[in-house]
Amino acid sequence: MTFNDIVSLAPFIAAVLLSAAILVVDIVFPGRRGPALVTTFLGLGLVAVLVAITGQTASTAFGGAYKVDDLTTFLDLLFIAIVALTMAFAPDYLEERGLPVPEFAATIVFAMSGAMLLAASGDLLVLFLGLELMVLPGYVLAGYHKTDGYSTEGAVKYFLLGSFSSAIFLFGLAFMWGLTGTTNIDGVREALGSMPLSPGLGMGLAMLTTGVAFKIAAVPFHYWTPDAYQGSPTPVTGYLSVGPKVGAFALIIRLFGQGLVDLAIDWNAVIMILAALTMTLGNLVALTQDNVKRMLAYSSIAHTGYMLVGLAAFGAGQIRGMEGLLYYGAAYAFMNLGAFAVIAALQRRAGVTSNLSTFAGLVRREPVLTWLMFLFLLSLTGIPPTAGFYGKFLIIVAAVDAGGVNSWLYVLAVLTVVNAAIAAFYYLRVAVYMFMRDPADEAATGMRHGGLVWTGLGVSTVMTLALGLFPGLLLGLVGSAAAAVLLLQ
Amino acid sequence: MTGLPLVTLVTFLPAIGALVVAATPTSRPNLARYVALGFALAAWIVSLVLLAGFSPAGPAFQYEESVAWIPAFGINYAVGVDGLAIVLVVLTTTLTWISILASFSPIQHRVKEYMVSFLVLEVGMTGVFVARDLFLFYIFWEIVLVPMYLIIGIWGGKNRIYATIKFVLYTLVGSLLMLVAILATAFTYQNAHPGDWTNAFDVASLTTAGAAGMFGGTFGFLAFGAFFLAFAIKVPMFPFHTWLPDAHVEAPTAGSVILAGVLLKLGGYGFIRFALPLFPEAAHTWAPAIIVLSLIAIIYGAIVALVQPDLKKLVAYSSVSHMGFVTLGIFVFQEQGMQGAILQMVNHGLITGALFLLVGVIYERTHDRTIAKMGGLGKAVPVYAAALGFFVFASVGLPGLSGFVGEFLTLLGTFVASPAAAVVATFVMIFAAGYLLWMLQRVAFGELSDFLKGLGSHLTDMKPVEALTLVPLGVLVVVFGLWPGLILDLVSGSVGAALAPVQAFAESAGPIALGLWR
Repeated sequence: MTFNDIVSLAPFIAAVLLSAAILVVDIVFPGRRGPALVTTFLGLGLVAVLVAITGQTASTAFGGAYKVDDLTTFLDLLFIAIVALTMAFAPDYLEERGLPVPEFAATIVFAMSGAMLLAASGDLLVLFLGLELMVLPGYVLAGYHKTDGYSTEGAVKYFLLGSFSSAIFLFGLAFMWGLTGTTNIDGVREALGSMPLSPGLGMGLAMLTTGVAFKIAAVPFHYWTPDAYQGSPTPVTGYLSVGPKVGAFALIIRLFGQGLVDLAIDWNAVIMILAALTMTLGNLVALTQDNVKRMLAYSSIAHTGYMLVGLAAFGAGQIRGMEGLLYYGAAYAFMNLGAFAVIAALQRRAGVTSNLSTFAGLVRREPVLTWLMFLFLLSLTGIPPTAGFYGKFLIIVAAVDAGGVNSWLYVLAVLTVVNAAIAAFYYLRVAVYMFMRDPADEAATGMRHGGLVWTGLGVSTVMTLALGLFPGLLLGLVGSAAAAVLLLQ
Repeated sequence: MTGLPLVTLVTFLPAIGALVVAATPTSRPNLARYVALGFALAAWIVSLVLLAGFSPAGPAFQYEESVAWIPAFGINYAVGVDGLAIVLVVLTTTLTWISILASFSPIQHRVKEYMVSFLVLEVGMTGVFVARDLFLFYIFWEIVLVPMYLIIGIWGGKNRIYATIKFVLYTLVGSLLMLVAILATAFTYQNAHPGDWTNAFDVASLTTAGAAGMFGGTFGFLAFGAFFLAFAIKVPMFPFHTWLPDAHVEAPTAGSVILAGVLLKLGGYGFIRFALPLFPEAAHTWAPAIIVLSLIAIIYGAIVALVQPDLKKLVAYSSVSHMGFVTLGIFVFQEQGMQGAILQMVNHGLITGALFLLVGVIYERTHDRTIAKMGGLGKAVPVYAAALGFFVFASVGLPGLSGFVGEFLTLLGTFVASPAAAVVATFVMIFAAGYLLWMLQRVAFGELSDFLKGLGSHLTDMKPVEALTLVPLGVLVVVFGLWPGLILDLVSGSVGAALAPVQAFAESAGPIALGLWR
């Protein structure tokens, strides 16, 4: 271990230390949210600065096990933004239910450090380590409302299926090691370069695909998602629907996009089928949901499908597919967190459900929240000029472009837009309730929301609009991040 | 010529207006009303300035502005107007302020949101007509959807939620497929200019490439199909029209006016501006089917209108019939035909807009639109009945009023391409006279019905504001009826440019294969 290794690792170390620091602050000021939140946000800022500084130059540490490149930087910044936004709208919700804020902050920052490790991993084992470090706090967060039966149920399901899939994934990694004799991702790539598809390789690929399909909740490995999402406290659902999802895509990019990229011809067909199934089934089931959280859970499955289309285009040799995937990840993070922030704000008073009826006539009680929700829903639908539209645009561009290589991608592009139209139905149904129905309970008047919630909502709104109107802002970053995927170090 | 970016101004003035209206206090609905009207009038004046400064003899596109927007894909914020666009922009701005004025009294709740929606709608509609970049065009095309969704869904009638969702889903399916076609077109262009995205979304470059036959073959056939679907749903052509009666009947009066007056024109405009010049070969292949569908729309719309018990639904189905003339005129590929189609687009906007306003006027008094309950309006409200009569005759196509010229030119063009089709379409005009005049007879003539008598003093004649919304439309109907050249001179350049590629293709491939229809 050299000093340079430590420098490359600095953001990750800072993230872990931040998590510990929040716990220490909680010991010094027990049960008070103020100091813990100040520590969290200052710490996140510091980590972001470190990411930006170390990201200036590409480097590797520990013999290639840990890589810092533009992809790492992009993903790290995205993770930090996701956690910061979650922390902006979680405290009000948690406090109302008597749940401790500082421990929540420490847990979620731990999860973030795992995601950062994942994004930077250049080694199969580090990849697995990062994955587990990211998802274990997730199980805790899902069951954070421990007196609530649904929360516990969701957490148990999430935990059981999560660890089951981790085991399958690990088995797949073992196959890769057995075939190549190395755990270094670039090493794996070189060793696999010219290898024909043997039964062992097939088994390995199948297990790896199954494992990651569980993590990103791709159909038919999605059954844990709705229960885990609906049962979790709303801010946790918001986090779970974007954080671990982008994290799992980071894993896919490092593993499939780099290590196994030369086998794209073998895995891409499976990815395409997964993409088609995932977006179609996710959307169709979302149509029938009456609970908005559960509906957004199924819709998050559909969004996984759109991102898989980007991956499939990348697998067919279009770097733009990777750009689309990354851009969509960022766009999805901001618009989905925004939508969950609104739901969490509405549910501030304990006992308010997330059923559609809660949204009836909302525009009269909470005009500002309603219009913001409408914006996020439009963005999730993919109506211009919003982030969601441009994300879909990039993915469809990539798919159409890749259609020249594999004409099934044309079909996938058309399927994507058909799905966007299906999705419009259930997203707009929420808008129907908000704008066009009468409130069930006239007495329920507007609530006061804290400044932190408004700040978080403001950031989500600005980003949702900015990423739609001025995509050039992020395209450079996304472009260099995508280019980094193909660089051998 | 001033240095002001006039086209941007006319497009985004309503957007500024929407922000200002949104900032007004909810407790003062009148302020929101007048601010909205002010901005709509301002946009109208700017559009008139544009019109006055437009020289038909000059270059095809004037007032062009272009700023790089997403250089990675060669996407620009590029706007400009030609004769066709300027006519439709002025139609849009005119109908918008009339609609806003006509909403003053019917819309009494959530006025502020209503006005914001209307102004945003105007941004989208104007933007579609002025966009010179395919990506920008698509953005505006989609923006139109959102405010219309709210207008029907919030301020509509009993069945509004069903109607608005149907409207959105129909339109969205079409436009999303068009997005794929837009991208595929841009890719084809980019592939021909290896690796270079410059101009891949630029309408002028794409049109040139399309005329040179770049988007032909199977690709052109499929891409045209996607564009066709999007535009045909918007027009709407048979059999994609089923959203229209629902949307029209449920929408508030002003919503119906804009829907008929401008939204349907987006489809016709799309055909002329994009579908024909980009894919001349595919347009040629598709034309027989489209002509047949247009004839079916003309006949079917007229027959269904004949049996409608509801006044508004009757006007809605008459739209299907009238818009059939538009698509017919475009796809016979004759100068007169397309000129007639464009005139018909403008006239239909004016006349049907006025008819919807008139239906709204009577509905506000009776809260009923059943034709059978009306009768003898001529005795009780003579001014109203006279106005209704005037616009009904205009819609029937009485010579001297504008409706006649459009249909006449369309039929003239059709006759050259296919006499049989022209004969069929001409006979259907008798139906049109039938359903409209029969309606007028049942509503306006005879003794005052018991239902209307029961209303007593509630049944008042036209108020000055209502007259104010109708007079400009009536004047324009007479003016364009007597001097159709006012519009024809403006658009003849656009017509020639839109038809040139497909006519050139037809010369090499032979006239459109109408088979038995010839």
